[in-house]
Amino acid sequence: MIQAKSISKRYGEVTAVEGVDFQVGRGEVVGFLGPNGAGKTTTMRILTGFIPPTEGTAVIDGHDIFQDPLAARRSVGYLPETPPLYPEMNVASYLGYVARIKDVPRVRRREAIDRAVERCGLTEVRGRVIGTLSKGFRQRVGLAQAIVHDPPVLILDEPTVGLDPLQIREIRGLIADLAAPKDGAVQHTVVLSTHILPEVEAICPRVIIINEGRKVIDAPLAELTADGRSLDEIFSQVTTRDVASESGEAA
Amino acid sequence: MRHVGNVAGRELRSLFVSPVAYGVMSLFSVLAGLFFVLNLAFFNDLIFRLQQFQAFDQLQQLNLNDQLIGEFYGSMSVVLLFLIPGITMGLFAAEKTNGTQELLMTSPLTMWDIVLGKFLGGALFVTFLVFIVGCFPALLFVYGDPEVGKTVGGLIGLLLVGWTYVAIGAFASSLTRNQVVAFLITFVLLLTMLLLPAVSDLGIAGSSGAGDLLRYLSTAIHFDNLSKGLVDTSDLAYFAAMIAGFLLLAKTAVESARWR
Repeated sequence: MIQAKSISKRYGEVTAVEGVDFQVGRGEVVGFLGPNGAGKTTTMRILTGFIPPTEGTAVIDGHDIFQDPLAARRSVGYLPETPPLYPEMNVASYLGYVARIKDVPRVRRREAIDRAVERCGLTEVRGRVIGTLSKGFRQRVGLAQAIVHDPPVLILDEPTVGLDPLQIREIRGLIADLAAPKDGAVQHTVVLSTHILPEVEAICPRVIIINEGRKVIDAPLAELTADGRSLDEIFSQVTTRDVASESGEAA
Repeated sequence: MRHVGNVAGRELRSLFVSPVAYGVMSLFSVLAGLFFVLNLAFFNDLIFRLQQFQAFDQLQQLNLNDQLIGEFYGSMSVVLLFLIPGITMGLFAAEKTNGTQELLMTSPLTMWDIVLGKFLGGALFVTFLVFIVGCFPALLFVYGDPEVGKTVGGLIGLLLVGWTYVAIGAFASSLTRNQVVAFLITFVLLLTMLLLPAVSDLGIAGSSGAGDLLRYLSTAIHFDNLSKGLVDTSDLAYFAAMIAGFLLLAKTAVESARWR
């Protein structure tokens, strides 16, 4: 569903992402990890078509982000780090607007909004103005916005930030349900970035770790932790190794 | 371009669910009423004095259109110059601060969907404002006998001036994420345009060719022509070119932000 083909992104002299390659199949949930500034957000922005890569390309659900950008974007639901909300709109009309610009046909719009509202637990705040909502609710409106057009691919940048433990559990349940729906609906492919390692252990069967713009690990979680190491240990090992070798070079 | 209406609709709805639209419209109505009454009083005064001096020739030349409606439209075009930067400052800048440009740019919208939608949203709002202006001369048809051509021509002129201001405001808003900066850029650009004919009159422009160009670039000259009831293709072409030009600049600015 997602193919990242040696994606690089440079801002002048600064390299944010360097030759990142990976593939994600239908129904997979992949945890995208890395320290701050590793290039997680940049990679996700490239996959969603927000910014173009300097080199390489990506194919989303069979649509190349350069050749067929509109179809590629139509196939993606994206929750950026800060949920993209209009504070003056109410929840239902906001989701209606998102459904329209995401090409949900008129006849299915009502149903699409209802489903997103229900799935994200927004029923009680449906008519409320977004600016008056708590952080947790805003995050959930952000998630509802990403799934309202029922895209085959979901890209979530830190979806559980700012939520309380109960809400986190609900959102994790929702993500698991989107990837493997019990009612036989279409399986979604999910890529989510997070800093919370237990979250990855809870919902992501597969882990991609990037550090300093390069992919350092891409493996099933079970395989990684087979030798008894925790994800925490693996993460600190692969993300500090470079620092050690750099200081070695300097010496 | 299927989504122009959706983007414009959201823009308008945002204005109308917040106090902004109502504030601007009531303020604008008050100012329109004020200017109309002042112009009307001045016109009455003029008639009264001319009658006192028995200046019948000049009384003959007096007419509602040139001495009242035209003046009133002129005043309102200046009011628009102050208000429109406030309406357009958020068009793109607010999307950047809300983080909603990530939503817009990752949706299956083309750049023209976004830019034209934003422009149309602002332009429709300005159309409401011009409609308010139109109510006042409409009253005069009850009590007097203004010329329809000049009255309507001037109103169309005001509308085109307003739309041009919106296009300029949209461009300024696309340059920055700070709404105050967008407001100031728009305001300075609009004022500069207003002053261009004066600059050309001063003769600073040197050769007459450059002076003519400055004159041509200013909205004021073309607006005056329309107020005289002269609907000339060259004036219409001027407004079309200004709007298209600034929207093209806005599109380029939004697009280039993506590559940075």
